[in-house]
Amino acid sequence: MRALREVLRDWEAVIGLEIHTELTSLETKMFCGCRISHDDEPNTNVCPVCLGLPGALPVPNEKAIEYIVMAGLATNCDVMKRSMFYRKHYFYPDMAKNFQTTQGPVAFVMHGHLDLEVSGEGADERPDGTITKAADGSYVLPVKILRIHMEEDAAKMVHVGGAEGRIGGARESLIDYNRCGTPLIELVTEPDLRTPEEARLFMEKLRQVFLALGISDCSLERGSMRCDGNVSLRRRGSSEMGTKTEMKNINSFKALHDALAYEICRQAEVLEGGGRVLQETRHWEPSRRKTVVMRVKERNDDYRFFPDPDLMPFDLSDEFVERCRRRLPELPDARRDRYVATWGLRCREAELLAADPQAASLFEDVMGVAEPAEAQVVANVMVNLVPSYGSLGVGQIAGIARLLAADDITFVQAREVLDALDGTDDDPEEVVEALGMRQSADSLSLVVDEVLGRCEDQVRQYRSGNRKVVGYLVGQCMKASAGAGNPKLFNQLLLERLEG
Amino acid sequence: MPQDPPLTNEDVAALADYARIALTEGELDEMRAYLNEAMALLDPILSYDLSDVEPTFHPVGGVCNVARDDVVVAGLSLEEALASAGGGVGRYFRVPAIMGDGGAS
Amino acid sequence: MTVSLDALSARQIAAGVAAGSFSATEVARAALDAIGHREDDVQAFVQVTEELAYDAAARIDARRAAGEPLPPLAGVPVAFKDNMNLVGTRTTCASHMLAGYESVYTATCVRRMLDAGAIPLGKLNMDEFAFGSTTDSSAFHPTNNPWDLARVPGGSSGGSAAAVSAGEVTISLGSDTGGSIRQPASLCGVVGMKPTYGMVSRYGVVAFGSSLDQVGPFGRRVEDVALAMNALVAGGRDPHDATSQSCEQDFLVHLDDGVEGCVVGVIPALLEADGVTSEVRMALREAARKLEGAGARIVEVDLPNMASAIAAYYVLGPCEAFSNLARFDGVRYGYREDGCSTLAGQSALSRAHGFGAEAKRRQLLGAHLLSSELYERYYLSAQKVRTLITADYRHAFEVVDAILMPTSPTVAWEHGTISDPAQLYLADVFTISNNIAGNCGISVPVCLGADSGLPIGAQLQGPAFGDARLLTIARALERACDQAGVVAPACAGRGGELS
Repeated sequence: MRALREVLRDWEAVIGLEIHTELTSLETKMFCGCRISHDDEPNTNVCPVCLGLPGALPVPNEKAIEYIVMAGLATNCDVMKRSMFYRKHYFYPDMAKNFQTTQGPVAFVMHGHLDLEVSGEGADERPDGTITKAADGSYVLPVKILRIHMEEDAAKMVHVGGAEGRIGGARESLIDYNRCGTPLIELVTEPDLRTPEEARLFMEKLRQVFLALGISDCSLERGSMRCDGNVSLRRRGSSEMGTKTEMKNINSFKALHDALAYEICRQAEVLEGGGRVLQETRHWEPSRRKTVVMRVKERNDDYRFFPDPDLMPFDLSDEFVERCRRRLPELPDARRDRYVATWGLRCREAELLAADPQAASLFEDVMGVAEPAEAQVVANVMVNLVPSYGSLGVGQIAGIARLLAADDITFVQAREVLDALDGTDDDPEEVVEALGMRQSADSLSLVVDEVLGRCEDQVRQYRSGNRKVVGYLVGQCMKASAGAGNPKLFNQLLLERLEG
Repeated sequence: MPQDPPLTNEDVAALADYARIALTEGELDEMRAYLNEAMALLDPILSYDLSDVEPTFHPVGGVCNVARDDVVVAGLSLEEALASAGGGVGRYFRVPAIMGDGGAS
Repeated sequence: MTVSLDALSARQIAAGVAAGSFSATEVARAALDAIGHREDDVQAFVQVTEELAYDAAARIDARRAAGEPLPPLAGVPVAFKDNMNLVGTRTTCASHMLAGYESVYTATCVRRMLDAGAIPLGKLNMDEFAFGSTTDSSAFHPTNNPWDLARVPGGSSGGSAAAVSAGEVTISLGSDTGGSIRQPASLCGVVGMKPTYGMVSRYGVVAFGSSLDQVGPFGRRVEDVALAMNALVAGGRDPHDATSQSCEQDFLVHLDDGVEGCVVGVIPALLEADGVTSEVRMALREAARKLEGAGARIVEVDLPNMASAIAAYYVLGPCEAFSNLARFDGVRYGYREDGCSTLAGQSALSRAHGFGAEAKRRQLLGAHLLSSELYERYYLSAQKVRTLITADYRHAFEVVDAILMPTSPTVAWEHGTISDPAQLYLADVFTISNNIAGNCGISVPVCLGADSGLPIGAQLQGPAFGDARLLTIARALERACDQAGVVAPACAGRGGELS
């Protein structure tokens, strides 16, 4: 198969995503009062409703509806009038009623968009000329969201008697209904994405938005966020839609990218060989790094949808929507822009901090005690150092940043200090003293003298006008001090001696 | 209004397969006869021009936004949950091989 | 002096228990005695719950002994259609599918009757999964009409009507999707009420047509039905049923207000319809005259789209039934065909052998109508016809307080004489439109047929949430016809005495 970038020069990939997110922050399921839990013993969070016992009736969880409205507002969707629940019928034991309660043509929220900033290497996947790129190659892609609707999750099944717990060849399957009925929101994008990287970034960005909203733990590993991707190819310049294939239940960002990349290349090979892409559902197998057919869709399944007579329609009031709007936290993009505007952070660190609600909150606490001028250093510490440590106090992080900003310690030394601080209440200043790290002219002078003593050639070169050689000498000093010296101080001492 | 073509045994077999109800050959004939007779009973529905009429999905209309608070309510014990599932295994419900079933997920 | 339960109204039983004239345990024993003497003939029950009855009676007696005030139905014998869950009983829907199914929770309507002090005597026979109007489709046994054991009690709540008619219990609950309370009430000579949709919780009642089903009471007196309605709406809307509404009220307050100044509508053309027997026609004309004699004004009204109600019903009912019955696949509960190697095989055989013929017919009809090619043509159109029928009623109820019409075109017929399902469907012509619109309706016995000597009921239909007014008019009709409290003659006096 040809490489992705090569394929994408000849073919345009049309990609749409369906992203399912369990509202794990809720206490109870969508239509009953059973607790939501990933970890409990099988079939212990069940009741007549989620087991589909004869006579049981569903009653919607109001907070789940608040959450989906918040998700819609955060992605620029309209809140719809007269939204209804529908029944979607298919005989499969992971749905206790043999139908899934989901939504019909009118979802709770519809017609939104999310803007993607694509930069760096990922931007290179998109051939130049198909979108206006900035001087650095980056570009902004508005991705339209068709709808976000509410539905209930299915039970978990364990397939036994076959290979690797797979369904094919299994002798029997065991069912745990704990997950059955967990509120699930499904976001469907328009097919606006054109590269695997754009798809990956969209899902990553959506995850950041949902994390900021606090509606889900958004864990891909645990399956609380799952993605189906569909992709079709068409010749560059053509506006016709090709036959699409669908990839189900992709459970990591990398897998999303790699599965789409593989599928684009595979389809290109089929089409270039004169073949026809079949409408089918495929499964990404990370170990084999390829997609395999799950089943061919000969015709669209007939789910016999109709409005659920047990659930009343929803006509959300303006007050309800306003209440949801007031609950919206600052979203990652706005937060990033504020960090850049308020503290002059570089975009990269601002974005990384803003994307993670906990990191952002910690950063803002630290900035409450740190000097505004030290903000970038604080951000560097937060992004590069803090994530490796379990528990560091606000004061400790601010202290480390202050020491770094004042050139009292180096980044390498900062790690040592953090090792000593982790899990204690100690003051960084005192730890630096105790470890004898504070940089002093005396201690560094010894290193400088040693280096100058064995680098006579470079000293001569300097004196004959080659000023650049100082950099080499600073490097030698750093090496001699095993990274513990401050390069600025070394530079200063070297110049004093060379000029003196 | 044009009539729908009558159902054939093949149609009824496909329907029964979808609805997971096994029918014998004899039952298939009876069911086809019944369904075609029942469909004929529905003709009055087709005689209306309903283009300007809104559907009433929920009788005694006007009630909207019925929901409950997000509060945990005690459910069933494991024993109660599995009590009527004769084929249970340990803590699980059990079904025989699924492959070939083609569920939606 | 001995008193027979046959002679006592629910209010008299509760008053007697409260006054200490007899204990709740004595009432339970007398009811079980009546059942013991009459059940062989009638076969209204699928399960008699002697232990639950004595336990509940003992609790009432203990409360009285402790000097506590007693609830309004204290000691009143009741029984429930077997599609209502009650912990400690099987809930079978008279189907092999659920033959051994033990309830793990209790339906709200059952709970409320028990909270009001009623004594649960058992679970009552029905057409399988409530599909039918004879009770002959019960997978276990037919139920016999207490007025003539060779005849059907009607259905689907045939057991509920027969048990009350036979004097086995004072009050029973049934469910009505297209006439399943009112029609058997008419055929068995008792009062049966289908309240407004949303008035009584459906939680715990095995669903047939979710937008049509409504639970309601049977009694031998309108007053008993009103008392049961008080219990069913007590506590307001049920948080477990999103379609239930808050309707708490006392239906007794205005029960005996009479019909002076009331306007009652009649639809003369209905009486001329095919299949309406002359004795039914005469009975209904006489009922109108008696209401007029009691002070009501009789006016003609029209429900122009009523003729399409059966067609709409046989779209909506089967579609909802297909969906509601999809869950019965033998995996979590219910009949399971063992030894199948695949799930599809197990489900298809479990459903083939667990369901009876009519249940299969309705599900396949529903599955067919819901297919995406037919959905708009039938299902969506039927929901639009529902809009038209609802509007017809709204216009009529701007002029009248209630509409009087037959409940059933005929009196009870003999077992096995009507077997064509489509012909049976047409017998629901007078009751179905009421379920389509969600209004309230009640069948009141007005006389014995001039030709058959069998009970004939008149149906009164009222507007949504006009249930209290409807009961008042029904009470006036009952008084004018002098039919209150009648136990079927073949059963009356056999057992059931309070010693």
